[in-house]
Amino acid sequence: MDLKSIENILKRVEKPSRYTGGEYGERDLKPSRLNYCICFPDVYEVAMSNLSIRIVSEVINRVDGAVCDRCFAPWTDFGDELKKAGIPLYSLGMKMPLKDFDMIGFTLQYEMSYTTILYMLDLAGIPLLRTERGENYPIIQAGGPCAVNPEPLADFIDIFVIGDGEDSMRELAELKLECKNKTEFLKRATEIQGVYVPSLMEVEYYPDGKIKSFSIDKPIKKALCKDLDKGAFPDKMLVPNSESVFDRAVIEVMRGCYRGCRFCQAGFIYRPVRPRKPETLINQAVSLIENTGFDEVGLNSLSTGDYPHLKQLIGGLKENLPKNTKLALPSLRLDSFDGEFVQESKKNSLTFAPEAGTQRLRDAINKDITEDDIERGLNMAFENGYTGIKLYFMFGLPTETDEDIYGICDIVSRIRKIYSQDKSRARGLRISVSASTFIPKPFTPFQWEAQILSEDVKHKVDILKSKLYGYNTNLSWNDFALSEIEAVLARGDRRVGKVLYSAYKKGCYFDGWSDKFKPDKWDEAFEENGISKRFYTREWGEDEILPWDFIDCFVDKKFLLKERGKAYRAEVTGSCKQGCKGCGIQKVYRCDV
Amino acid sequence: MILMRYSKTLGAEFTAHLDLMRGIGRTLARAKIEVKYSQGYHPHLLIFMSAPLGLGIKSYSEYCLIDTDESAEDFKAKFNKVTRKGIECIGAWETQKKIGVASDIVKAKYLIKGIGEFDERDILNSTEFIIKDKNGNDKNVRDLIYEVKRVDGDVVCVLGFGNGLRVEKFAEKLVERYGGGDLDIIKTEGLTMDGKPFESVLQGGE
Repeated sequence: MDLKSIENILKRVEKPSRYTGGEYGERDLKPSRLNYCICFPDVYEVAMSNLSIRIVSEVINRVDGAVCDRCFAPWTDFGDELKKAGIPLYSLGMKMPLKDFDMIGFTLQYEMSYTTILYMLDLAGIPLLRTERGENYPIIQAGGPCAVNPEPLADFIDIFVIGDGEDSMRELAELKLECKNKTEFLKRATEIQGVYVPSLMEVEYYPDGKIKSFSIDKPIKKALCKDLDKGAFPDKMLVPNSESVFDRAVIEVMRGCYRGCRFCQAGFIYRPVRPRKPETLINQAVSLIENTGFDEVGLNSLSTGDYPHLKQLIGGLKENLPKNTKLALPSLRLDSFDGEFVQESKKNSLTFAPEAGTQRLRDAINKDITEDDIERGLNMAFENGYTGIKLYFMFGLPTETDEDIYGICDIVSRIRKIYSQDKSRARGLRISVSASTFIPKPFTPFQWEAQILSEDVKHKVDILKSKLYGYNTNLSWNDFALSEIEAVLARGDRRVGKVLYSAYKKGCYFDGWSDKFKPDKWDEAFEENGISKRFYTREWGEDEILPWDFIDCFVDKKFLLKERGKAYRAEVTGSCKQGCKGCGIQKVYRCDV
Repeated sequence: MILMRYSKTLGAEFTAHLDLMRGIGRTLARAKIEVKYSQGYHPHLLIFMSAPLGLGIKSYSEYCLIDTDESAEDFKAKFNKVTRKGIECIGAWETQKKIGVASDIVKAKYLIKGIGEFDERDILNSTEFIIKDKNGNDKNVRDLIYEVKRVDGDVVCVLGFGNGLRVEKFAEKLVERYGGGDLDIIKTEGLTMDGKPFESVLQGGE
């Protein structure tokens, strides 16, 4: 396919540059012995900001005989036009139909993108169900953070890679080059650490619907890249044709987080913490800035303020990067906010996530932030000229009471008080409070917890409305229906796949986009398949087999249970930096703390 | 300052104006061509672009004025070495004065493919050529149609800017009148009022 054949379609759709390719930095790709296409189940602007697909592309392109192209979900207008014209979904580099690739890999960043995977397969003319795809169709693979519970997608995906992609994806590509057919490949792939092939596992259930057993002998151990400094990292990146959500160069300063907030899945599944060396990062940043022309570098990680060599890194970056280059430090915690590291791009608003309104609940979730930390961080922010604060909280955390919701209002009043202490501050303070519903996620100490109900959310929102409205505070909260389905997909087993299939057939995709989310269609899909959402959002028994129990992320279940117990006693475990907490990762990795 | 003439083809014609501007800024950074910044709270690169081109219209005659001390001699090679596909520097000229890349290009020559057979005198001998502006109002743009001729089955025309006239609207109107479809529009020359290529404003000492 060439662009000429879709020119007329491109003239009719919104943001056509999403579909042309041709970005600076694009390799001159030619079909090879292994043609792999990395797919992102969301639009161009989101996909082009994602680091994992760049790492996977780099890994695959380094394999002799393999080539990695890319494809992102076309927005509905372009998708409809492709369908109408009978043009199958194509890759952006070689403009090759997806169904002509040997292997297609989806990154699972967000549960609500699952139906968009089906949408992309459908547009590509590839049967959605793995049982309907023979040797003539590409192997469909998936990885990324949500793959730690792969089961809801077990009907659609041939092979999952759980954990880090640096080594596992290389081994997988090399194996694919050796194998003669799909069956041989899938069988042999299970020898690679992190690989799970759903067709090779059966699940047995009790009459009440709970899981009785899995038919595999040993758990699937996640893939682990022990030395990120040696791991593949692209020193070049494509410069997007249109503005992407994070329009800057990105370096990953470390993987994993020292903190262990009990609700945070990333904090557990990305263990152990692996900081890159400052020299590696400086070289990567210099190369990226030179090769892209960006004027900003994002220092990404789950908690960049905890990076052990932050001062050295920032100093080195300032010394080596062109003078107009700005540094962006997302994911700063209140207690690691330091005037020295304040965002360099001129922003008026700062975002912090206390997550809970009272010290008791922050201790219960192991957020490990004190009132003093909040005060110190905010004082520093105001001294640095910030006049807007955005605060993130969660509703429905385990042990939460009304007092904790009132605590959110107290925090807002305290912030106002701190700000008004200095009368010389000319502008009024803008505060926005954003609250989302807690979603219990696999591999966290809260994986057994129930999700609160719609009426509970309403009650909590009513408290906030009554207290915060009229105080120049912007209050927003997310759609409970969306959070509920996200919880089902996060904790679902393979029976949930039927709901995904039905929901897609009813027109659900791009569910993460509020204007595209169709809760009524999802409800119909659950009902038609006789599946109760509450079965998956209820509290799970500690002795129950969980749908993801056949995956080993190296964090002991006993540790998670201990942490859960501590949450109920509002006891803080604290950061790994204060000493090893014995989570289990030390069995496979010597943490340098 | 450098006046750059560049092409917008090979898929780049689908890049929106602001994205294109951002992209040119990044290309200049990759080329290590130092561009001056504006002063003030939000400093921005001093790059001045010619008027936006409709999405999907190819061009060999886009212009941008760049505030830099770089010499024109090296500019083209440096830029083209690190530019994205479809955006290519065709020419670069030094100038000491700020010229109006948006205001002084008042008409342009286009090649339009995909229009059915017609006699150009239908248009040239008429006093009216009505198109709908973006608000749906009828506008007579005949005064802005300077030239229309058939060349090897295609249409070559010179159209002025303003009064809601855009080349794609003009082409659509031709299709409506004379049939055709699958339009391919290429802007071949940005012109001054006296019909000369825009870079000619630099002649005479620049």
